[in-house]
Amino acid sequence: MPFNQKPQKFNAKINTVTIGSGEKTVALGGNSTLPLYAFDAPTANTAKIGVEISDLGQTSSEGIKAYYADCATIGEAAKKAAAMEGADFVALFLEGGDPNGANKSVEELIAVVNEVAEAVDCPLVVEGCKNVEKDAELLPKVAEALQGRNVLIMSEKEENYKTIGAAAGLAYNQIVGAESSVDINLAKQLNVITTQLGVNAQKIVMNVGSAAAGYGYEYVVSTMDRIRGAALSQNDNMLQMPIITPVASETWGTKEAAASEADMPEWGSQEDRGIDMEIMTAAADLASGSDAVILRHPQSVATISKMIKELA
Amino acid sequence: MAKFVTIGERIHCISPVIRDAMATRNPAPILKRAKEQLDAGATYLDVNIGPAENDGEDLMKWAVQLLQSEFDNVPLALDTANKKAIEAGISVYNRAKGKPIVNSADAGGRIENIDLAAANDAIVIALCSAEGIAADNDERMMHCQNMLERGMMLGMDPSDLWFDPLFLVVKGMQDKQMEVLEAIKMFSDMGLNSTGGLSNNSNGMPKHIRPIMDSALVAMAMMQGLTSAIVNPCDLRLMETIKSCDIFKSNTLYADSYLEI
Repeated sequence: MPFNQKPQKFNAKINTVTIGSGEKTVALGGNSTLPLYAFDAPTANTAKIGVEISDLGQTSSEGIKAYYADCATIGEAAKKAAAMEGADFVALFLEGGDPNGANKSVEELIAVVNEVAEAVDCPLVVEGCKNVEKDAELLPKVAEALQGRNVLIMSEKEENYKTIGAAAGLAYNQIVGAESSVDINLAKQLNVITTQLGVNAQKIVMNVGSAAAGYGYEYVVSTMDRIRGAALSQNDNMLQMPIITPVASETWGTKEAAASEADMPEWGSQEDRGIDMEIMTAAADLASGSDAVILRHPQSVATISKMIKELA
Repeated sequence: MAKFVTIGERIHCISPVIRDAMATRNPAPILKRAKEQLDAGATYLDVNIGPAENDGEDLMKWAVQLLQSEFDNVPLALDTANKKAIEAGISVYNRAKGKPIVNSADAGGRIENIDLAAANDAIVIALCSAEGIAADNDERMMHCQNMLERGMMLGMDPSDLWFDPLFLVVKGMQDKQMEVLEAIKMFSDMGLNSTGGLSNNSNGMPKHIRPIMDSALVAMAMMQGLTSAIVNPCDLRLMETIKSCDIFKSNTLYADSYLEI
């Protein structure tokens, strides 16, 4: 019996959302197949990779420190990140804003944002500090400062969607990153209420939550699976937004990445463990439905980039 | 499973306003009713032009083009006894949002509407009766089989025949209600789509009772596997029930605002 391929066809597709301005833009989503099922229909846009830099410095591992060793400023680090092999965009993580951490002022952080924006002309993603109240104060200012750059403003949550959604999506015409934490119903709800604010559904990207492989990761997979399933097979236009997943901020904090070789000699090279965690998690996210992942280590970025190219 | 398909029934020439608008080709009343139904969540709109023996072809073309140009190619059910009018409507119909529905064929004198649907790659509502209401489910299923075979012989996809068990009025045929629901289950077990004029059950009841009866029946029928119904989408209670049943059946994903979308 000859093999008869029967492509799985959907009369629905994921929205295409373009980030960036001028000549350097990147398109997320646009596909009408299950993740990586390039054999069912041509891939409109392959998955994209963002390289994450933090306002607190690039110190997740020795290899990452070495990569940025000659960068004295955040602007130089941004240039170096943008030049990383396999990078599609730069993700600026404003973790220093966290009131329980460095608690930098909004003004200080906006200065960082401006410095990065001046240093690179590639597409930009800005991540908040993960504190809901501070983000509500900070991210509208970020959206204002970056007018015209068409950046993705991450971390619009149920608690602060009115402020962040209205500023990013309406007042300053940026892309809104709607964030829920591994809760499929809330992911949909956040898209509904964000569009009810008046934000164009075509200008929303979802972060449906993330975890490192091995840390409750099954829930991430089933969440992405069900979202992509409803978007395509039920043509649910409140779930057809592309998915972006910050990977690095989850994986580099795990004990596998953080435990020293002195403490855990039987686990082998600490650097390799960190990279492995980042690559495994990112690969699984892409297989589950992410249209973009955010990574830190040059070796992870190169590996995932190769994987995306070869499976396209 | 796919979301329940609601076919809005309010563009009907039995209404004096609509009949007059059709006769004088006055778009406003028709567009108003179309918009009300779409805003309320209708998927398809039924366009009933009556027997339309004189100018049916011209009228159906006009109505199809009017509605599809105003409402982004809204999918339509073309409802008339005049076959030429249905064909004329299909000839100008845009399929971007869904195939046209031929409303309707039966197993008796109107069986040729299946041929019409097959020839025009349309969906057809297949009423499981011939000359009068089926006496029991043996007869209903015989009609169903006959129409299914006829459609398939003509190359139709079985999913394009939407079987109508014929909803019966409670006041007068209360003892037949469970039989209708059992027929829906049989269609569903065969993997077939189904639809029908659900509100027929509450004909003759006080106005405030009808939405309650219609909502209860749609919930029971959806449990049995009903995939569509011809309804008044402006009945809020009914639409809320349908949306809620779609959640229980996992036809749509729950979100707190599910009633608003």
